Amino acid sequence: MRRKLAMGVHRRGAIGAALALALAVTACGGDEGGDGDSASAGDGDVTLSVSVWNMDTTPEFRAMFDAFEEANPNITIQPVDILADDYDDKLTAMLAGGDKTDVLTMKNVIGYSRYANRGQLMDISDLVGSTDTSDLAGLDAYDIDGSYYAMPYRQDFWLLYYNKGMFDAAGLDYPENITWDEYVQLAEQLTSGEGGEKVYGTYHHTWRSVIQAISAAQTGGDQLGGDYSFFADQYEMALGVQDSGFALDFGTAVAQQADYRNMFETEATAMMPMGTWYISGVLAAAANGDTDVDWGIAPMPQRPDSSEVVTFGSPTAFAVNENAEHADAAKMFVEFAASEEGAKAIAEVGVVPALQNSAITDAYFALDGMPEDDLSRTAFEPDVVELEMPVSETTSDIDTILNEEHQLIMVGDKSIEDGIATMGDRVDSEVR
Amino acid sequence: MSHVTTQPDAARPAPSERGRPPRRQGRSRQVRRNTLVGWSFILPNFVGFALFTLVPVTAAFVLAFMEWNSFGSPEWVGLDNFRRMLGDENFRVALFNTFFYAGGHIPLTLVAALTLAIVLNRKIRGVQFFRTAAFFPYITSLVAVAVVWNMMFNPTLGPVNQILETLGMANPPGWTASTDWAMPAVIITSVWRDMGYYMVLYLAGLQTIPEEYYEAARVDGANAWQRFWHVTLPGLRPVTFFVVVMLTIQSFKILDLIVVMTDGGPGRSTLVLAQLIYREGIREGRFGYSSAIALVLFFIVLTVTVFQFRLNERRKA
Repeated sequence: MRRKLAMGVHRRGAIGAALALALAVTACGGDEGGDGDSASAGDGDVTLSVSVWNMDTTPEFRAMFDAFEEANPNITIQPVDILADDYDDKLTAMLAGGDKTDVLTMKNVIGYSRYANRGQLMDISDLVGSTDTSDLAGLDAYDIDGSYYAMPYRQDFWLLYYNKGMFDAAGLDYPENITWDEYVQLAEQLTSGEGGEKVYGTYHHTWRSVIQAISAAQTGGDQLGGDYSFFADQYEMALGVQDSGFALDFGTAVAQQADYRNMFETEATAMMPMGTWYISGVLAAAANGDTDVDWGIAPMPQRPDSSEVVTFGSPTAFAVNENAEHADAAKMFVEFAASEEGAKAIAEVGVVPALQNSAITDAYFALDGMPEDDLSRTAFEPDVVELEMPVSETTSDIDTILNEEHQLIMVGDKSIEDGIATMGDRVDSEVR
Repeated sequence: MSHVTTQPDAARPAPSERGRPPRRQGRSRQVRRNTLVGWSFILPNFVGFALFTLVPVTAAFVLAFMEWNSFGSPEWVGLDNFRRMLGDENFRVALFNTFFYAGGHIPLTLVAALTLAIVLNRKIRGVQFFRTAAFFPYITSLVAVAVVWNMMFNPTLGPVNQILETLGMANPPGWTASTDWAMPAVIITSVWRDMGYYMVLYLAGLQTIPEEYYEAARVDGANAWQRFWHVTLPGLRPVTFFVVVMLTIQSFKILDLIVVMTDGGPGRSTLVLAQLIYREGIREGRFGYSSAIALVLFFIVLTVTVFQFRLNERRKA
């Protein structure tokens, strides 16, 4: 047929060429489809796709996948790697396009509530019901009207990192069971130097949770409620520390896009409230020789009237895509990730699993480079871990408002009272 | 496929038609065939255009009157999205900020580009080097530009404020850390980045002004300022028109620089329309509302551009 076309006159040749091209293109498309089908079908061997972020720098995924593949030799995991900063945007776009990735990692609970409320996640309540979840921290966050659409495998919570060397040099006791007032005193005593050489007593990262989530957790305030007066004490503390020069000021931190890792690892700060995910980060930095900071972890400072150690945290979970190609294998994976085997696999790379028992804590503290003191172990077992941000349909909109007003308070554009009042007004008027 | 290969035979007049004047028939077939060939040439391009531009743009127009969260079926809501916009403070803030940005970016870039072009249009040593240097920001990665300028604008340690302090300013602005100065900081950065590109356009424009005009003006006793005002500027009018139109469109769709530099902050002080569209659509999944805002942005740009064209026509006349 092609020969015939080629023999035609030039003008017809043009049509022929165009059609031949079209044919070739469709032929290619057809081939691709065929290959895809044959790869995913087959005799019991399953390729399970899992959406992840920054695979290279997030070792827990590799650890979890290796452990799962070892336990299930007929399943191969195909990670779908997404840039961490764009993770939720990208996933939203993928799901909107009917993507068939089997397992979806829920990077945060806010994202989870969005996907679940849109019906993009499979209901796995039966799976949760048939598993022993008594030691599984953070599961409650995934309860939507009695149904579960994801199961946590990892539970990060906030604690206080501190530089032991600086505490020793200043002759101060390590920050065991301190109040916020004592924390401010320590920050003052640990601040030294000027200009580029300045060492700050503490570092508050620019996220709103550093102020808002901890005060919600420790006062019992509701971040979705509309009355935000419970933030006031924490803002006063943070602004006081910043105005006295005991912490890098917010404006500078934003302008130089300050990296909290750098602040701690280059010993530019003596203390830093931060999530447990940073443990694996600082361990890795020490192992690579990027830092020789002598560090420890302590419980978060508390309000003076508190008898327990209260902090906040957020779980990370795996969910099954409603459009999953291999739903059964995907459920197996979700179950495995929340099991003791899965928990051990990620504890070995310095990640805090959702499943918590003494065996796993032992495995965790057996890591190379982990601080071995009792204080650090205590810090690892807070009494109460409140959810960083409650989940509801309004969470995401309120999050945006709280964040914008947080910035205005921290740069000194609004007083604490004004900022808190505006938060309430905006939540009332903008979020329906 | 076979349809095409049999075409040569079909094109030949059938025996029974031999008696009729053959030319008309043959001609209309010829015309049809030519049309077909023509279509086949633009087809690949048109398919791409239709698939990736025409359909999405039309869809955005329709979506503006619907409520759709990217899954499920869209629901017709009429003018609800536009009504909502009227009461939405975020929209008002973003609209104001977009005009603020355009109002700063367009004239400042224009003046900076023109000044650069006039300075670098002389026969001075190393002019090529300076022209290249002036163009450099435009080909630099935007993220790099934003990050480095952010550091320069650092309120306490940044070079900008250190220079201002040396010059005797007691309370230099907080730039990106202040709600009042964040937008000016973004505007300065964008002017710095874009002026090189428009300078090149102006340089090209300057070459088209005949040297005789200047000589004649000199003979008439015009000074440098008069020569600029009465010869250079009118001579550059076509280029200026193009530059203004391009700058306008570019200013109203500003997104990238702001996302990297301030992400709309502090608070909402640099939140612009394009960013609100992104936030409402991609992040919150309100594609209907987001399309409605996009539609409004489109009509703003359209109105301003049409107005500029009109103005240009009138001046030409």
